[in-house]
Amino acid sequence: MNSNQFIALAPILIIAGAAVVTMLIIAIRRNFVLINCVSACGILLSLLAVGLIWQANPVQATSLIRVDGYALFYTALLLLTGLSVIGLCYDYFKARTGENEELFVLLLTALLGAVVLVSSSHFASFFIGLETLSISLFVLISYTINRQNSLEAAIKYLILSGVSSAFLLFGMALIYAQSGVLDFNGIGRYLMNQKDMNALVLSGVILIIAGVGFKLSLAPFHLWTPDVYEGAPSPITAFIATASKGAVFALLLRYFISAYNYSYLPFLTVLSVIAVLSILIGNLLALLQNNVKRLLAYSSIGHMGYVLVAFIAGGRIAPALVVESVTFYLVTYFITTIGAFGIISVLSTPQIEADDLSFYRGLFWRQPWLATIFTLMLISLAGIPLTAGFIGKFYIFASGADARLWGLLLTVIVGSGLGLYYYLRVVVVMSMNVEATAIEPVEPVQKRMSTTILAVLTLLLLWFGLYPGHLIESILLISNSLK
Amino acid sequence: MMLFLFYITSAVAVFATVMMITRLNAVHGLLYLILSLLAAGVLFFLLGAHFAAVLEVIIYAGAIMVLFVFVIMMLNQGQKTTDQERIWLQPTIWIGPSVLAVILFAEMLIVIVSGGNAETGQIVDSKQVAIALYGPYLLAVELASMLLLAGLVGAYHLGKPMLKKTLGKRA
Repeated sequence: MNSNQFIALAPILIIAGAAVVTMLIIAIRRNFVLINCVSACGILLSLLAVGLIWQANPVQATSLIRVDGYALFYTALLLLTGLSVIGLCYDYFKARTGENEELFVLLLTALLGAVVLVSSSHFASFFIGLETLSISLFVLISYTINRQNSLEAAIKYLILSGVSSAFLLFGMALIYAQSGVLDFNGIGRYLMNQKDMNALVLSGVILIIAGVGFKLSLAPFHLWTPDVYEGAPSPITAFIATASKGAVFALLLRYFISAYNYSYLPFLTVLSVIAVLSILIGNLLALLQNNVKRLLAYSSIGHMGYVLVAFIAGGRIAPALVVESVTFYLVTYFITTIGAFGIISVLSTPQIEADDLSFYRGLFWRQPWLATIFTLMLISLAGIPLTAGFIGKFYIFASGADARLWGLLLTVIVGSGLGLYYYLRVVVVMSMNVEATAIEPVEPVQKRMSTTILAVLTLLLLWFGLYPGHLIESILLISNSLK
Repeated sequence: MMLFLFYITSAVAVFATVMMITRLNAVHGLLYLILSLLAAGVLFFLLGAHFAAVLEVIIYAGAIMVLFVFVIMMLNQGQKTTDQERIWLQPTIWIGPSVLAVILFAEMLIVIVSGGNAETGQIVDSKQVAIALYGPYLLAVELASMLLLAGLVGAYHLGKPMLKKTLGKRA
């Protein structure tokens, strides 16, 4: 390892260091505000490091980690997500009894896992990054342990995640048995030299897709999603829905491009079936929900299906375009999802989690600003023009049409139509008459941190919706860094 | 010869795992699970990965599984424990795992007596493993330590409320 590699690894090292420092400070002195500040400072420092090495050439730090523009962009995205989740956690947990400081250590380790995932170029770092992320998430999901369904959610996630890791490892083992290498580029070279399709590699990659499908909650593997979303504390749900899924997706895209997997057409058929199932099942089941968290859970299954359509298009169009559409869609999805769960977490009190639809009746009269922000987030998720979600969906259509995936695009249209119905249903409930409800007025608690974050997210949402040029330019810079 | 031993060990591993899943009593299942892990260790040994074989035995079969058995036995405190242990120690229960263990032991003896050549023709010793871990895989080792840190902090947090409850009852 030379100094160049150390500099390239700085964001990762800083996050790991921040986790250790936070833990040591907890051991010396328990102070919720202090711990919060320290962990936020750690993330800011790491962001600073990302900013400093942003223009540098790609660095391969051992065969495990490759720090290039693609990795740095996603690292920055994940760090910003972590920062806003920490802000939401501050307001959500400050009024709660119990020792809430460990939460931040676990958030930092989860973030570390996610950052390693987006920069990994080797099966070993892929697996260890994923496990670091998952192990931190088990505890984060069950953090408020005295709530009944949070423990249930954590155990469901633990077991299903364990099973999916087994699939993943078996898939890696099959590919290794055939090719004799573990790094993505090496596998790519092996596959390029193979003339025929290889049954072992084929089953290996399909097992990997199954394992990753669990983490991304794609359709046949989605069963854990609603329960975990419902059981976890709202800020943590925002983290699972964005950071954990986004990091895995970014890794999958890097793997497919650099390991030359797009040349195997059967994968694309398998992925197409998964995408269609995700879009239809996610959107249809969301129609039936009266719990906002479960509704967003099913809608996230649908959204992962949409991104998968752009991903599948990579079989026919240039990888750079796929990176561009997937990244733009993920950025908008991150903003809106954190925003939507942020609203739920602002409205929740230590006594009640604001996840039932009846809780939102007449919100426009009680808290007009929050209701407006929530409406904007929901219409962005639905993909209505003037919001970032529209541009994201436009990208999906553009890449799908380029690759002539008409069947998939038809499913996307059907899914979006269904989506419009249930997102707008929430908006309608929020504007219903306030007299009809029996909810006693909740004590207004000052949650400045969360409201600031929500305001920033809303501005970003409108900015990227009206002037997407800036974001597209920076994505274009990174889209060629994968080879 | 080695190939023959390999298939016997694989059969033992599969059989022990199936028995483990189908046992209704947790302790009986764990006995078979230990056997399954030991068989996996022997498989590693036959493939020439001696270091991995020893780790498999020490860490999985040794530390983790014995801990499991202890915890499960200690959860059943009280008057019934003695009767329960007597039931657990009936010959029908321990004869199965013992036979499997004897098979594995015999295999090990054969391998050691016959000179210990691996089927793959290559023996990976602990020095080579160490060079790999602290060379190209250094980052993986460090990341694994962060993974353990997350697990440790998590176990501390989740274990805490239980501890308080029991202390409260005693006070």
